[in-house]
Amino acid sequence: MGKIVVVIFIFMAHLIGDEAHEIIKKLDENFRGKNIYMKLNMKIVSMGHERVMKMQSYSQGTKKSFVKIIYPPKDEGITFLSLDREMWQYVPKIERIIKIPPSMMLQKWMGSDITNDDMVKQSSIVEDYEPKIIKREGSVVTIELTPKENAPVVWGKITLNIDTTTYTSHKDIFYDEEGKEVRYFIYKDVKKVGNYYIPTYWMVQSSDTEGRYTEMILEEVEYDTKISEEYFTKSALKRFSK
Amino acid sequence: MFKLALKNILFYKGRSIATAVLTFVSTMLFILYISLQDGSHNSMLENSLKIYTGAIEIYRKDYRDIGGNEYLIQDVKVITDKLEKIDAIEEYSPRYETYGLLSNKEYSAASMVAGIEPNKERVLSSLKSALIEGSFLDDGSANCIYMGAELLKKLKLGIGDEVAFIGSASDGSFAADMLRVCGVFKTGSFEFDSSTSFVARSYFDELMNAKNRASYITLKLKNIEDADKVNEQIISMLDDENLESLTWKTLMKSMVEIMEIDSVFGYISLSLFMVVIFFVIMIYGFVNVSSRIKEFGVLRCIGLSKRNIFLLLFYEIALLSIFATLLATPIAAYICYYYNINPIVIDGIADMYKDYGIVSDEITFDYNLFTIGWNVGVIYLLNFLSILYPYMYINSFRPIEATRHV
Repeated sequence: MGKIVVVIFIFMAHLIGDEAHEIIKKLDENFRGKNIYMKLNMKIVSMGHERVMKMQSYSQGTKKSFVKIIYPPKDEGITFLSLDREMWQYVPKIERIIKIPPSMMLQKWMGSDITNDDMVKQSSIVEDYEPKIIKREGSVVTIELTPKENAPVVWGKITLNIDTTTYTSHKDIFYDEEGKEVRYFIYKDVKKVGNYYIPTYWMVQSSDTEGRYTEMILEEVEYDTKISEEYFTKSALKRFSK
Repeated sequence: MFKLALKNILFYKGRSIATAVLTFVSTMLFILYISLQDGSHNSMLENSLKIYTGAIEIYRKDYRDIGGNEYLIQDVKVITDKLEKIDAIEEYSPRYETYGLLSNKEYSAASMVAGIEPNKERVLSSLKSALIEGSFLDDGSANCIYMGAELLKKLKLGIGDEVAFIGSASDGSFAADMLRVCGVFKTGSFEFDSSTSFVARSYFDELMNAKNRASYITLKLKNIEDADKVNEQIISMLDDENLESLTWKTLMKSMVEIMEIDSVFGYISLSLFMVVIFFVIMIYGFVNVSSRIKEFGVLRCIGLSKRNIFLLLFYEIALLSIFATLLATPIAAYICYYYNINPIVIDGIADMYKDYGIVSDEITFDYNLFTIGWNVGVIYLLNFLSILYPYMYINSFRPIEATRHV
């Protein structure tokens, strides 16, 4: 009898583990599809001041992405390319392609609350973390992601509140290695685009900083369109800057 | 009692000479050791303050803990107008610091790039004297960058080469420009030399949209000893709870802590030595007193009180201590003074301790009359304490019993 209980326990644990993996995988698929094009507005609010940027983003799979700033005019034409876990930037004013060194990966991206690391490590929630369901409330499942051994990650833990009807997150909370909450993302206004669901309002804020946050509103989203491979080459940085 | 004490000193020559020599040696050693310890600490501090840190720095609250553009000083002029009125300030300057990326065609490195007022920095810091190649900045230097030697090496650059700078401007917008390497500095602090570069504020203000803004305002005082007093004056003058004015003691807390720990260990090792000296003097005193029990018995029998006996011993030790310290103090003070002006040079010491901000191979002694005074006072006190036990020992005998003691 004891053996049967143990076997059932292991089987259930395996099923729960698989379910967590499955939810994270579906969430990630919703965020990227096979490829995704987005036009988004970013609003950075800090101590009563606001700064608005507009950009176009092209991503393919988990390893390739290209971002072009289209507003404000001062920053127009700045482009970013992420390939695997490396990142380059082209600045029209100085006509230089610059590789972002590892020491700068935790710096804020374009003065916002997201980091360079966020730009290139989106895939890591599937590859680098072990998911575990810690709570269920109706269709919302809270999953805790803990880093796999030797995974090149900066977070000690991430918790995601995922709506399993759309496989989109309501809120992601990021913790440091000591378990202290560092920042959170809030997602709203889920829309169905083709076969995918995506929140069109994202907000990121540091947990210990009041009055400063970054909002992103997706104006256009297109999944699984034909994005030219040319976007994901270093020469694209300069060519598509114009 | 005084005359009797003098006679005793001359009569017991061996004991007197031994006590005087021990007091002389311990006085010399104590003064020189403390002078060397204080001198090296002052030197460490001065070197660090000379490189870049100010005696006092004014920040917007939370800039040091959180940082970022939100915590910049927004109206520098209001503050500098107030600082003008404080006489004790020799010079001040607002600095704008940011972390950005420096990149040549192949190599990139993160660096703290600081916008400075070069002409004021000639007085405020040792940045100009740390120049090893090229030239220092001028207030009108356009896109010139003054770069740490290790950073230059990392980026494989030379004088006249171009380097791209990208970073966030003070309003959060994107800032980028091509800079030209005009000068290279080496302070001896590896961390500083490998991660820091400077540009003229007039140019940087335009690039970073930082006019009338600053990360902090750094101050040099006419006399660094006045730091606490001037700081209080600044705080009351600013009268702004969003600003904080900090002295070097807070700014260089880690170095001050290292110095304090070093001092504690220094005092512990020295006190062990002093304990040995104290016991040697006390044992000498005790042996001497033991051989004079009969004499003290007779003195008590002819009418001297216990107080007289104490006075006798007190005068004896006081005379010997005065003699020894009068001899030792000027000699030790002269050595301190001499090595204060002409520091001892040990080649390579700066290289060994460069991480602690030591940029000189010179070991300086401190020359401070107050310190020498309290050092001598401690030796006096120890000598007087050393007569307590012998005095108690004598008093344990009754006068008649003492006269019969063999």
